[in-house]
Amino acid sequence: MRNTFNEQLERLHVELIQMGATCEDAISAAAEALLKHDQTLAATAEEAERELDRKEREVENLCLKLLLQQQPVARDLREISAALKMISDLERIGDQAADIAELTRFVQVPEGTGAPHIADMARAVIAMVTDSVDSFVKRDLDLARAVCKADDKVDALFQQVKEELIALISADAANGEQGLELMMVAKYLERIGDHATNVAEWVEYSITGVHPSNN
Amino acid sequence: MTKRIFRSILTVTLTVLVASLVLIVGVLHGYFQDRVLEELARSTAYIARGVEENGMAYLNDDLPKSSRITWVASDGTVLYDNWEDEASMGNHADREEVQEALMLGRGSASRYSDTLSQKTVYYALRLSDGSVLRTSDTNYSVWMMVLQALQPVALMTVLAFCLALWLAGRVARQLVEPINAIDPSAPSEDVYEELSPLLTKIRSQNRQIQRQLLDLQQRREEFTAITENMSEGLLVIDQETRILSYNSAALRLLGAKAPVEEGESVLTLDREAGFRRCVEEALAGRRCEELLERDDDCRRVMANPVEQEGKLAGAVLIVLDVTEKEQRDRLRREFTANVSHELKTPLTSILGTAEILENGMVKPGDVAHFAGNIHREAQRLIGLVNDIIKLSRLDEGGPAAQWESVDLYGQARSILDQLSTAAEKKQVTMTLSGTSACVRGVPQIVEEILYNLCDNAVAYNRPGGTVSVTVEDTAEGARVTVADSGIGIPPEAQNRVFERFYRVDKSHPSGGTGLGLSIVKHGAAYLGAQVTLHSEPGKGSTFVLQFPKYVP
Repeated sequence: MRNTFNEQLERLHVELIQMGATCEDAISAAAEALLKHDQTLAATAEEAERELDRKEREVENLCLKLLLQQQPVARDLREISAALKMISDLERIGDQAADIAELTRFVQVPEGTGAPHIADMARAVIAMVTDSVDSFVKRDLDLARAVCKADDKVDALFQQVKEELIALISADAANGEQGLELMMVAKYLERIGDHATNVAEWVEYSITGVHPSNN
Repeated sequence: MTKRIFRSILTVTLTVLVASLVLIVGVLHGYFQDRVLEELARSTAYIARGVEENGMAYLNDDLPKSSRITWVASDGTVLYDNWEDEASMGNHADREEVQEALMLGRGSASRYSDTLSQKTVYYALRLSDGSVLRTSDTNYSVWMMVLQALQPVALMTVLAFCLALWLAGRVARQLVEPINAIDPSAPSEDVYEELSPLLTKIRSQNRQIQRQLLDLQQRREEFTAITENMSEGLLVIDQETRILSYNSAALRLLGAKAPVEEGESVLTLDREAGFRRCVEEALAGRRCEELLERDDDCRRVMANPVEQEGKLAGAVLIVLDVTEKEQRDRLRREFTANVSHELKTPLTSILGTAEILENGMVKPGDVAHFAGNIHREAQRLIGLVNDIIKLSRLDEGGPAAQWESVDLYGQARSILDQLSTAAEKKQVTMTLSGTSACVRGVPQIVEEILYNLCDNAVAYNRPGGTVSVTVEDTAEGARVTVADSGIGIPPEAQNRVFERFYRVDKSHPSGGTGLGLSIVKHGAAYLGAQVTLHSEPGKGSTFVLQFPKYVP
């Protein structure tokens, strides 16, 4: 009985790694599609998003089955409940990556102002997602905490991009729509950063038993 | 087992206890009845004598009323009863004991009264006058007796029960203790005889397990030793992607840390899309190969499904470092592209000029100029082809030339002489200093190297600049330093100048083939020498050629 349980727990772990990896694929494909204006990459990101939706349901089923049939306690219970929360964040990251991918059809990052910072933001956010998945895979508490700190940097970048986009729109009002679309992209990236932070927080919870927001 | 023995002993004890109680009560009951009858017979005989002597007077005397005395005449009429009024009593001739006494002289009977749950025992004796004297006594039933004896019996039973409990527990423990004390890993001989076949079996199996474990460990160590010495990464996984075996090369090539827990998923080592696809495909039963590119590194992952008795059991993943191979491939592709381009440029120029000449569109006075063009381009083409031939020879292991002692100083001197015209044209001063130093090498290659270094030093110089060549014989071996005061090489290009066809300034062809430094690099490698470059843009470059120590 316990063996089945352990096997199922391990399967959950593997499924989550796969989901995290798919999530990384989605966001990096979306970011690259944006920066290089590559439509095939945008399609990749959208495909990854559908895959994530499927995976979310699968993992959710597995979690519920584990909860109902095995009635886990202590650390196992924490891990499963954290997994349940994490998958919804991962799925949201996928959604937002797909949204960015969709926007790349209409928007192009302009040369010059704004562009470097959106690229910086994308890179920082990808690093956050990678690190949060990494912290889960390696059960690395320090890395999880580092991810939470990295979110401040992304927020600061978002602020900067916002100001630059305001300047862009006021300078070239005729092309204002571009500015707005880019604003959306920046906002999506910022949200992905928040979701990555959530994932990292749940990792911390599953390791320590205390959710950082309770501190 | 203890419990079972305890229960058995207790059951046996209690059964014996209850059975003996029942038996004792039964035996006692019979004995009691006999005693009562005997007593009755004796007292009847005693009273009979009194009645024979004194008649009714004896009976009217104060006889104890504890037992009932009845005197019945021979016709059955009750003459006397000390408990009841004789007149009201009926004829007693039909009573069993009376009939018996009338016939045989004495008689006895016992009758059970349901209402009183009492048993009455009668004893009758025939007197000499033919009448019958009967005495009776109540004999309590067996149940009454048991009831009466209940308190002491219950006490006794409880005591016996407690004793049985204690003894049964003790005995059970004592019986089981030696069995419990058996150490399964090394069972001793001195336990129950009945267990010895079992223990012998355990011992022999222990030995077998030990042997097999040792065998297994040895085999695993061998396997580890072999896989650890592989330069290829090896990963064996099961169906659930759990790592069954890995070697350190795999971790190194994937840039992963050792798995923390036993049975960790292989995806914790790497979860790149290509790697995941490999794992998935292999576990679906298909062979898969993927190229993983990360920064500058390039890995090839080959995944093979492993089948056991027709069922998929897992997969074997092999990780190869193909960085160099990929780089070589890239260089070869670039080289081919570059060669075609470099060869095409002068040919296009020659073709164009020749066409113009052919069509007679050139004034006779200009023919010389156009022919000069063709000549120059053809020369460049030949130079290029020569360089390519040299390089490909070096690539294939160098010309089959004789190795001999070469004097670097002499070589440098003749090269500076060759270049003096070109240097004068560019207004560059060349100096040679140092001592004679001999190395072992192929003269053509040494010359090629020095020529290219010096030629570059002149070509990429500024008017009025200098080129100084120094030949030294140091403790580590001969060393040639070619320093110029030319345009220098920017830091980001310093690594690349030795590549084929690489030019720092692509927009201003200097007339070189772009292969000079490549020849230097390959030639030096062929001779076992090392080339180092120090350069500062705008100030000049210094190439140091360090030969290995040579003792002639």
